[in-house]
Amino acid sequence: MTTNLIHWLLYGGAMGLIVIGIVGVVTLTNIFRIILALVIAEAGANLLLVIAGYRFDAIAPILTGQALSAMPTTQIMVDPVPQAMVLTSIVIGVGVQALALALVLKVYKNYQTLDLREIHHRMLADIDHSSGVISLLSEEQPKGERPLPEPETKNVLNSGGEK
Amino acid sequence: MNNIAFNVALPLLTAFLLPIISSGSKSATRFVGPFVLLAMLWFALAYFNVLQHPVAIALGGFLPPLGISFHLDNLSLLMAALIPLMMLLLWPYNNREGFREESLLLLLAGAASGLALSGDLFNIYVFYELLSVASFGLAAANRTAAAFAATFRYVIISGLGTVLALTGIALIYTQTGTLNLAHIGLLASQLNNPVGLSAFALIVIGIGVKAEIFPVNGWVPEVYSTASPRISALLAGLISKLAVLVIIRLLVVAYQGSQALTLLLVLGMLGIIWGELSAWHSKDLKRMFSFSSIGQLGMVLVAFSIPGDAGMAAGIAMMLHHLVVKPGMFLLTENWNGPIKKLKGAATSSPLAAFLFMLFALSMIGVPPLPGFWAKLLLVTGLVEANAPLYIIALVVLLTATVIEAHYLMSTALKIFSRGKKKHFKKLLQTPFNLTIATIFGAVLLAALFTLTPLGNKLNQIATESSDRSLYIKTTLSLKLPPQVKQQVSKVQ
Repeated sequence: MTTNLIHWLLYGGAMGLIVIGIVGVVTLTNIFRIILALVIAEAGANLLLVIAGYRFDAIAPILTGQALSAMPTTQIMVDPVPQAMVLTSIVIGVGVQALALALVLKVYKNYQTLDLREIHHRMLADIDHSSGVISLLSEEQPKGERPLPEPETKNVLNSGGEK
Repeated sequence: MNNIAFNVALPLLTAFLLPIISSGSKSATRFVGPFVLLAMLWFALAYFNVLQHPVAIALGGFLPPLGISFHLDNLSLLMAALIPLMMLLLWPYNNREGFREESLLLLLAGAASGLALSGDLFNIYVFYELLSVASFGLAAANRTAAAFAATFRYVIISGLGTVLALTGIALIYTQTGTLNLAHIGLLASQLNNPVGLSAFALIVIGIGVKAEIFPVNGWVPEVYSTASPRISALLAGLISKLAVLVIIRLLVVAYQGSQALTLLLVLGMLGIIWGELSAWHSKDLKRMFSFSSIGQLGMVLVAFSIPGDAGMAAGIAMMLHHLVVKPGMFLLTENWNGPIKKLKGAATSSPLAAFLFMLFALSMIGVPPLPGFWAKLLLVTGLVEANAPLYIIALVVLLTATVIEAHYLMSTALKIFSRGKKKHFKKLLQTPFNLTIATIFGAVLLAALFTLTPLGNKLNQIATESSDRSLYIKTTLSLKLPPQVKQQVSKVQ
């Protein structure tokens, strides 16, 4: 009963980490936080793999120096295959995260912002510019012939100053 | 007999040795890459010639299901031969300094070969990641601000896909306790439950990032319009097909139920609708081609969702057709990159390029004598014969998409063939290098036109072979070690 409960708790925890990570990647706008969300999701996936090979009351799959005949026959060991895979996927994950961070540096150097929406906006404008297409974004903006209303913040500041 | 392992090992090794070689001699750097690719092509073709029936190879003397195995049949060897061939065509021969792009391309070639040949799910995941990292580097190779930003978004979407695919693999492992594709196929009945099916959905969407599948293809137009046309041609033409290959292997071996097919069908239809409408709306050639490539891959997915040999044949035909046509089209965008309005008079400035554009466009729409027509015909007859409500809807979507495709491609062709101002002519000239490569793709397309019957026979043979589930399982699991290896293994033990 308790082992079953713990089992489901572990699976739920791993799935929860993956969901938290994916929701983070989809909803966050700060690109550094997006990378952190990706790290959390990856940790969840790795945990899921490790749990897939886990057995209760089992020993680690290593040679202990004890003779096989001396061991109790009921002794089982944890499945070693997922552990090897998780090592691989952790290494791959670290590599991809390092690459993503290097790209964050490059993007920040070029656009001076970490806000994904603004980066996306400016990248689309850049692509439009390089291909010579009139940007869809600029069509939404006023053309400049119409006088723009005075920004309100200025008035508030001025009136505040007079008082 | 295990020469084919060199197709993975040799390019990977050379990719990492290239920085050292280039510090020694600049000219050697330029020749080493093509030489390695030629060797890969030779290994793959040597197998292709002697192959009578599918073969499995146990790597390192460990038998499957525990050891990693390569599965060689006509389909995987065809892809293994196409990888070096496409690389040779799209190789940066005029790049006189630096080794970075060459190194990344070789990395891509090695990882892609591994992906095409491997018969182990986790091995596929590792090669897929390697392929991703190489393609990130190539996508950012232009070093412009927009290229870095586009690549960053690509990395994030791809990273998300990786997590989903890894979760799917972990779920399959919890259900079957194995990662060998053939062994998974043997235990396929254990995957016929919600967990198994959600594992399939996760892997499809995860691997589908490279295959430009509907919800995860936001990176496509951005990366293809910031990367150089050669790289776009490679990613759209070759790499997307390898991701599709992984999906159909899993489909054939382990998921023969109707739910998995329905999932592919729906994703494919959404891809067609989204891709073609966006292509219709786009105002420059690069983005038009990237969106139309999303639409075409949607068609490939729809084709593979038809059960049986008919779907497999249609899918492979669509895949190969797209593999020839799209790279050719992308190569033309290098100097025709601008609003479509400004392409006026392009035909007078470089007539050959205009002819090639017309050829590719007509074949993509499916105008009768061209190969594209026969591929689409296979797809349409497959959909009609499947005779289920959802497949009829797919047929309607497909035909509507063809009309939309015809409209935007032909209105572009009209601009190209209309008279323009003389002062723009110089800008619209194609570079001889790109033009030569595009001509080769065009020539392949025309050559296919004259060899339709043998091609059709070969296609049917490949389709029957690769949609045969029990053959795949039997090939890998009945594998016995050759006596020499057995001796070596027993010595070690």
